[in-house]
Amino acid sequence: MGPERIRQDFPIFQRVINGHPLAYLDNAATTHKPRAVIAALSDFYAHHNANVHRGVHTLAEEATDRYEQARAKAARFLGAASPDEIVFTRGTTDGINLVARAWGRRLRPGDEIVLTELEHHSNIVPWQLAAAGSGARLRYIPLAADGTLDLDAAQRLIGPRTRLLAVTHTSNVLGTVTPLERLIGWAHAQGALVLVDAAQAMLRGRPDVTRLGCDFLACSAHKMFGPMGIGILYGRAALLEALEPVDGGGGMIAVVSEQSSTWRESPARFEAGTPDVAGAVGLSAAMDYVLSLDAAAIAAHEAALTARALAALGGLRGVRVFGPPAGTGRASVVSFAVAGIHPHDVAQVLDEQGVAVRAGHHCCQPLMRRLGETATVRASFAPYTLPEEIDRLAAGIRLAQQIFGHG
Amino acid sequence: MDSALYREQILEHARRPRNSGRVAAPDAQAVVNNPLCGDELEATLTLADGCIREVRFLVRGCAIAQASASLTSLLVQGLAPDRVAQLGRALRAALEDPDAALPPELEPLAALTAVRQHRSRVRCALLAWDALAACTAPAAAESGGV
Repeated sequence: MGPERIRQDFPIFQRVINGHPLAYLDNAATTHKPRAVIAALSDFYAHHNANVHRGVHTLAEEATDRYEQARAKAARFLGAASPDEIVFTRGTTDGINLVARAWGRRLRPGDEIVLTELEHHSNIVPWQLAAAGSGARLRYIPLAADGTLDLDAAQRLIGPRTRLLAVTHTSNVLGTVTPLERLIGWAHAQGALVLVDAAQAMLRGRPDVTRLGCDFLACSAHKMFGPMGIGILYGRAALLEALEPVDGGGGMIAVVSEQSSTWRESPARFEAGTPDVAGAVGLSAAMDYVLSLDAAAIAAHEAALTARALAALGGLRGVRVFGPPAGTGRASVVSFAVAGIHPHDVAQVLDEQGVAVRAGHHCCQPLMRRLGETATVRASFAPYTLPEEIDRLAAGIRLAQQIFGHG
Repeated sequence: MDSALYREQILEHARRPRNSGRVAAPDAQAVVNNPLCGDELEATLTLADGCIREVRFLVRGCAIAQASASLTSLLVQGLAPDRVAQLGRALRAALEDPDAALPPELEPLAALTAVRQHRSRVRCALLAWDALAACTAPAAAESGGV
């Protein structure tokens, strides 16, 4: 199934932007939603709406069934041993914060959390908050010159003081895919746990948590065709069961008395309050949609798009492309700078041509400093991206160079 | 080449910004950031008889931020800080509210009103004015961090 056919499932591609057909190259920020996902959200509210785990009436049973079916599907989707290992969150950021707040209570002075220079702010700041309260400190695996991790340094940094390695699966800026098997092996050999930020991974080499052997993994529905505002935190059952809750409220308690309470088992313990049931139903439809696509064909398509983008941008005078070279298993995310033109101005000119890209620091200020930039332009692709949209990107960059007098 | 936002005056001031850099012995200075993109702008100025005598902006930012700083530097020389603060509020209102008119005194900045169509760029156009406000009323406390 090629991109032309896939696009037919996405109503957004009927949009005309500034007189041009939409060329949406901002998929690392969020993906668009297929009709099946939009319909699932609408169907839930139209026909099944009720609160979960609270009622005996028919709609409450239907809503609960759909919510728990989504959890079971998420477990299978990620290769988890049981639905009990799946906590519904608001997204990747929320999932990482949950671990940082719940597991982070165990940190002691002198403990170390190892991150990488590739991390998104959402996999940095929660650990800063956890470290600030505990006297633990953060260490960063540096980048090698080619935008991959310096693995010699990683081996040195992961040591007996390491309590946790928190690492991205795929960089949202450089497209670097990290060697998770090796990093997890080194961390586990030191008795440390591993959290994987899989926000960018769900359409690009989706991980299997059991095969990978990670302890926690966080991801978001909206970066895999699902709704915004819901995500998945995977945690190994024994680990989740041993953690105290971070939010109190309805749905997470066993018994509440005046001065104290006891908790339900996980994952319910971590889902205080009314959850985003419609979001879970939409996520379920998104997982079905992802599974309906030919994974090998998608991977080949995105590799071809990435190679085309690297060649097209690399061939433009004044354009500097960041990240690993083509053919090194890098993901379909390409960041670049145009000499003499601010990334916002490049993105604005592209928008006038109907080409949507992201410009800014991409929530990766430490990585930007490492690259010697304050911001970059980023184009990121998806199964529905057309090769000619990359040609429109290149033409838009040449236009920006003409407008700003650097052509 | 026709662009709704990048009119010739904007491009010209972005390419050749007036009063770019730093004043030698400033009476006031401030650095402001745009959290959206990490851009940074430094204002340095000298005062004479309670009015701005010389102002310079050091901009690490986009064409809109650069052009706005350049146009602003020409406009505010000789003005009292209170008047600058008033004009800054009027410019903000004019950029954020499509129905608000630009006061005649701000007419030299008319080209900037094109950012009304681009919500994310309003902050870029106001960055120089944020820095001027910080120069003249430095008491605004920064919130905490870890």
